[in-house]
Amino acid sequence: MHRIFLCGALLSASLAPAARAAGPVAHPDTYTYATISDADSMDPAWAYDSASDLIILNVYDTLWTFSGASTKIMTPLIATKIPSRANGLISADGRTYTIPIRKGVKFHDGTPLTPEDVRYSLLRFMLLDRAAGPSSLLLEPLLGYPSTRDDSDKMLPHVWEDAQRAVTVRGDDVILRLPRPYAPLVSILASWAPIVCEKWSIAHGDWDGTEATWEKFNNSAKEQSPLFEREDGSGPFKLVRWDRRTQEFLLERFDGYWRAPAKIKYVVVKGVNEFGTRKLMLLNGDADTIYADRPLWSQLQGLPGVQIIDDLPTMENDPIVFFTFKINTVGNPYVRSGRLDGDGIPSDFFNDIDVRKGFAYAFDYKGFIDDVLHGKGRQATGSIPASMPGHNPRQKTYRFDLKKAEEHFRKAFGGQVWDKGFHFTIAYNTGNIPRETICQIIKRNVESLNPKFKIDIRAVEWPTFLDAQKDSKLPIFVLGWNADYPDPHNFAFPLLHSQGDYPPYQHFKDAEIDRLVEQARLETDPEARRRLYYKLQAREYELVPHLNIVDDLRYRTQRSWVHGWVNNPIFPDAPYGSYFYTIYKK
Amino acid sequence: MLKFILKRLALLPLVLFGVTALLFSCLQFLSPEMRAALYVKDPRQLSQLDAVIEKYGLRKPLPVQYGIWLKQVAHGDLGYSETAKMPVADAIRSFFPATFELTVVTFLPIMVVGVFFGVLSAVYRDKLLDHITRFVAITGYSLPSFVLGLGLLMVFYGRLHLFPPGRYTLDTDMLVHADSFRHWTGLLTLDCLLNGQWHAAADVAEHMVLPAATLLYISVALLLRITRSSMLEELTKDYVRTARAKGLPERAIIRKHALANALIPVVTLSSLLFIGLLGGVVITETVFDFPGIGRWGVQAAQQLDIPGVLGSTMLAAFLFVIANLVSDVLYAVVDPRIRVGD
Repeated sequence: MHRIFLCGALLSASLAPAARAAGPVAHPDTYTYATISDADSMDPAWAYDSASDLIILNVYDTLWTFSGASTKIMTPLIATKIPSRANGLISADGRTYTIPIRKGVKFHDGTPLTPEDVRYSLLRFMLLDRAAGPSSLLLEPLLGYPSTRDDSDKMLPHVWEDAQRAVTVRGDDVILRLPRPYAPLVSILASWAPIVCEKWSIAHGDWDGTEATWEKFNNSAKEQSPLFEREDGSGPFKLVRWDRRTQEFLLERFDGYWRAPAKIKYVVVKGVNEFGTRKLMLLNGDADTIYADRPLWSQLQGLPGVQIIDDLPTMENDPIVFFTFKINTVGNPYVRSGRLDGDGIPSDFFNDIDVRKGFAYAFDYKGFIDDVLHGKGRQATGSIPASMPGHNPRQKTYRFDLKKAEEHFRKAFGGQVWDKGFHFTIAYNTGNIPRETICQIIKRNVESLNPKFKIDIRAVEWPTFLDAQKDSKLPIFVLGWNADYPDPHNFAFPLLHSQGDYPPYQHFKDAEIDRLVEQARLETDPEARRRLYYKLQAREYELVPHLNIVDDLRYRTQRSWVHGWVNNPIFPDAPYGSYFYTIYKK
Repeated sequence: MLKFILKRLALLPLVLFGVTALLFSCLQFLSPEMRAALYVKDPRQLSQLDAVIEKYGLRKPLPVQYGIWLKQVAHGDLGYSETAKMPVADAIRSFFPATFELTVVTFLPIMVVGVFFGVLSAVYRDKLLDHITRFVAITGYSLPSFVLGLGLLMVFYGRLHLFPPGRYTLDTDMLVHADSFRHWTGLLTLDCLLNGQWHAAADVAEHMVLPAATLLYISVALLLRITRSSMLEELTKDYVRTARAKGLPERAIIRKHALANALIPVVTLSSLLFIGLLGGVVITETVFDFPGIGRWGVQAAQQLDIPGVLGSTMLAAFLFVIANLVSDVLYAVVDPRIRVGD
């Protein structure tokens, strides 16, 4: 498949522009997005992938959403006001949120939306809690724990009671009661738990909203959900069809939308795996925008009738080079001998701060950005990306400096690393060009310091990668992180906290970092939070648990006749996919 | 003949059982974590890897998992394919008709062109026609299908704005999904015609032109070569010389005597070609964004979608048995000296 991609890229690069550059707009009523992703489910409580979330964003409404391109300013949707301390809708102790619900909103089947629908939607989002799903995003702030089940998959006691306490209806308001303050909650609710129609869902065989059936509903199979391929949301578009055979979604404008109807009548989101085909569809006007990542950027330059919008900020930190502090050396080919004898590395190799700093100084950040990203990006200064509040642009960071790298390697393990050398393997998942290049840069630069330093690179398929990572067998691994919601906690916790998503695999734990992450999560004063996150990034710089490489900038390719598109980096699949409500063709 | 066919068909369940048992035994080399990759695709899900393994019962011993699967199959349930996002039986029903339609559209021209020009090439050995035919065969055989496919797409779709990729346009999409549209056969072109929708039929056919042309060019090359060499061999045999000595016209010698004998290897090859096309042609389907069974099968294998792999493999095994049976029967038709069942 890789060969097809390369060949397609080369052949399409050689294609002289024969596009329908001028003339009338092709398919004026229909906006088509050709992408590579294949969606998982249309159930908002199940979906946790950008392809699914893109459709959900456009067919359901959340309580509020982000305003235009902003990830800080929000606009009410189903709620009439966004709770804050200033408007009194967040209590003084930060634990009670009052959400006034808008009247006159209708679902796609004409049913009026009520506060009960909001309550049902929030409970449903939490209580479905499928394995590896998004429910923890609400469970944690509202119930105080990330899952409804324990490690042995048994149901926790009091979940139902806790959920009943957390979400209630009082008149036209929905009241949220939190076990403790949770600063990112408003951001989370802007992206997650969109409002579904309770009556329609129950009528179609979904959870009936009662205590008697919630355990059966919990972690149920994806395909059992009536919301798997159908919907009754209140968003600007109706889902006409999800054709899983052709990997195509057809959305139609909802003329009964409570705001003015969307400008475009139909939206088609279509899976087209081959880049050459996508590019030709764009040139022919059969696609209005296509998915094309940075390595393909040069092939889309100068095409007639095609517009490139570049330098778009992202809400991700990718790629990241993670160090494993305690490597499992048993039967582990990645560490060879498993000892510091010149032909391997010991389990605690990356536990030595000088080893980590040696690697940090040996990486050519600028070279990577210039060569792989065509100069589009800035070196990251910490785990929190530049587009996020709490990011410290003046945070000291590591620069490419082989002399300093050598200094640290000479100090590592009391000089033994320099004298004996090492040999190990870095793995990356197959098919990811930037991650592969990162491995090559590390190998080239570190090996240039000392002939006794040897690093092998191995491309592994995702299942093999998962297997090795689960057992902490990878000394270094390269992955990334995309934001669930635009709050620094969504980077600080998964990347740095000892109970986050990566540190348990790395066996990294620092009490000070944990304290700062927890404190910042509880703190609702923006200035105090900023200070905490600045401290956190300084501590991260000191300990180097991983290497943050780049604050990436993306680009979007679209036909010039597309108007009204707004880049909001928190929207799923941004900047290729988007909120279609504002888009029109002219 | 009937007894022979029934005997071969009776072996079918055994073949399918063997194939699936073999696949399951290969799976023991994969850890539960590796098989969980089907459900854990994003780093955001890494922390719940164990929960996924528990939910899908991936730690259960493989014989137990195989037993569960066989029990499901006995109840007519082939399982759920994560890659197709639908039950396996539905996936086969969804993807196979498109591939079948493309195969039917492609196979007849392959046979006609391959046999006709293969015979001519042998008859006019070392003449201009033979040289041209051999050139076409060699280029077709050596040209990767993705190069040819993308080339055709660029020329016809990119430059001439003809023959778009995909299955159909949005208008046809709306039409075939309308309540009033009846899916008589599952073959879209035919269904459009049966529904009286000529424009839609033309649209569907237009979308099949380039994938069919690619498959035709790639597949015909081998058939052409085999037909030519088989025919050449027959034309040098004693019975042909005798026929010529008896003064039979050359055309009759070729048609009535040599061709019948030369067709035996052609029948074998064409059955294999037919299976190959029916099993799905992944590259062509990918380049032309054609929703066939091959693309699904490969996706299932790549993502370790076990029910998907088992379903598509069982289909391939089934087709293989049937096609072999048909070719055995055809041997007897082509050459009456061969008695099926001997």
